[in-house]
Amino acid sequence: MSQRKTLPQNPVEILLVEDNPGDIRLIQEAFKEGGVCSHLNIARDGEQALAFLRREGSFIRSPRPAFILLDLNLPRKDGREVLAEIKKDKALRQIPVVILSTSTASEDVRRAYDLHANCYVPKPLDVEKLVQLSKSLEEFWLSTAILPA
Amino acid sequence: MGEFLRWFRARRRVTENVASADVLSACFEAAPQAILVVSREGRIVLANARTEQMFGYTRDEILGRELEMLLPHRFRTAHSHHRGDYFAHPRVRTMGSGMELAGRRKDGSEFPVEIGLASVNTKTGPLAFGMVSDITERKKAADELQRVNEELRRSSAEVEQFAHVASHDLQEPLRMVTNYLQLIERRYNDLLDDDGREFIRYAVDGAIRMKALIADLLDFSRAGTGAAHFVRVATLDIVQDALANLKAAIDESHAQISLDLLPAVVVDPVLFTQVFQNLIANAIKFQRNSSPKIHISASREGKEWIFSIRDNGIGIEARHLDRIFRIFERLHSSQEYSGSGIGLAITRKIVERHGGRIWVESQPGIGSTFFFSISAEMESANAARVGSPA
Repeated sequence: MSQRKTLPQNPVEILLVEDNPGDIRLIQEAFKEGGVCSHLNIARDGEQALAFLRREGSFIRSPRPAFILLDLNLPRKDGREVLAEIKKDKALRQIPVVILSTSTASEDVRRAYDLHANCYVPKPLDVEKLVQLSKSLEEFWLSTAILPA
Repeated sequence: MGEFLRWFRARRRVTENVASADVLSACFEAAPQAILVVSREGRIVLANARTEQMFGYTRDEILGRELEMLLPHRFRTAHSHHRGDYFAHPRVRTMGSGMELAGRRKDGSEFPVEIGLASVNTKTGPLAFGMVSDITERKKAADELQRVNEELRRSSAEVEQFAHVASHDLQEPLRMVTNYLQLIERRYNDLLDDDGREFIRYAVDGAIRMKALIADLLDFSRAGTGAAHFVRVATLDIVQDALANLKAAIDESHAQISLDLLPAVVVDPVLFTQVFQNLIANAIKFQRNSSPKIHISASREGKEWIFSIRDNGIGIEARHLDRIFRIFERLHSSQEYSGSGIGLAITRKIVERHGGRIWVESQPGIGSTFFFSISAEMESANAARVGSPA
């Protein structure tokens, strides 16, 4: 593992789009344990997520996230619509979108990739695995992969 | 009556030994169907007593009049054309097969009928016979059967749907419970005393058991839906697969398993393996102390193969025999024997999906024998129809 790049020093912004407060807290805790260098921004529904990304309304000062964690089942505008809008938007579509969903139905997986999701990750069923996931997401997207500057 | 009796008398020499005109005429009168004799012109020349009851007219009111008066208006024009065709090509047949025919009573009410047609040539010209059955009751029964069938199909589809949705939606809150308990365990283990740790352990155990129940419920709903693939297989291969899947339990319990000759059957191999696996697993599990002895055999009874799995286990009391095939029924605490009580419910569902039945005979303390039937004459094509969900 000696050739692995070091993780960035300053916190990296991540956008988590998730409506269930239990899941939000759980993912925050997992990143607290597993991740080292990221700051989770939270959007509670699809409309908020797009407003955050487009810096609309009260999100005028929101940072541009390094990647997005997107739940599929959201109130108002659901995850698929959010994904489709992000990938249609020239200014946003380079941001990697990681779908984080309880569904492992092949139809859901296929549709997400059809809409250009960058990867599809099932929500882990226990905390240990969730901590692992936060670690590997950070490692992959912030260190292994190179993102556009 | 004149035409008909003239014709009868002409035939008399031939039929005298068997039936006199009186006898035939009595038969005609007593027939359970309405019998109408019609001339080429479509006039009713003869009718029996049942005709009066069925249509509500006296014979005086219909004799010599057009047959179409006994039909609903919407059939009248078409019927007079068909009548012409029939006299051109007379033969014995059922009228309007596949069509819903109706008669019209004097009071204007309609009733469904079935009509047999025949014809005869007489000196004065051809005559047609219509033999009319009132099928109101039969039709009512058939309609009712169809309605109940549809209702059944719909409600069983709803149950499947419910089980599927419920098990998916139940996973979500359960995931929360499990995850947060795990988080408490991870973070605060050192702060908790023994009581606290014990409480959490019970809560985690409960959540884990619930997760298993939900998984079972999903399995159960899947056993009744989804595509089944029916092929002809050797039961021996199926049983060997089931035994291989149970290798650990068999080795551990030192179970002795013997097999009779087993037939080839048309089944879904995956589901059928599960049937044997569940029944053999139960035979191994429900044992007191001795090592399990299990015998699997099959016998032909009429159009079915009856399979049996006999064990020397704890047996089941007679009053519980019906309960054991129900979902989540358990006769023992989970400390005595593990499991959620889903195995036999799934087994029964699979057997029924193959068009068979499952039952058990048992003597407490001596052992149980589970039986199930599988059609011996099912061909792959038929099987697919039996097995496909509505």
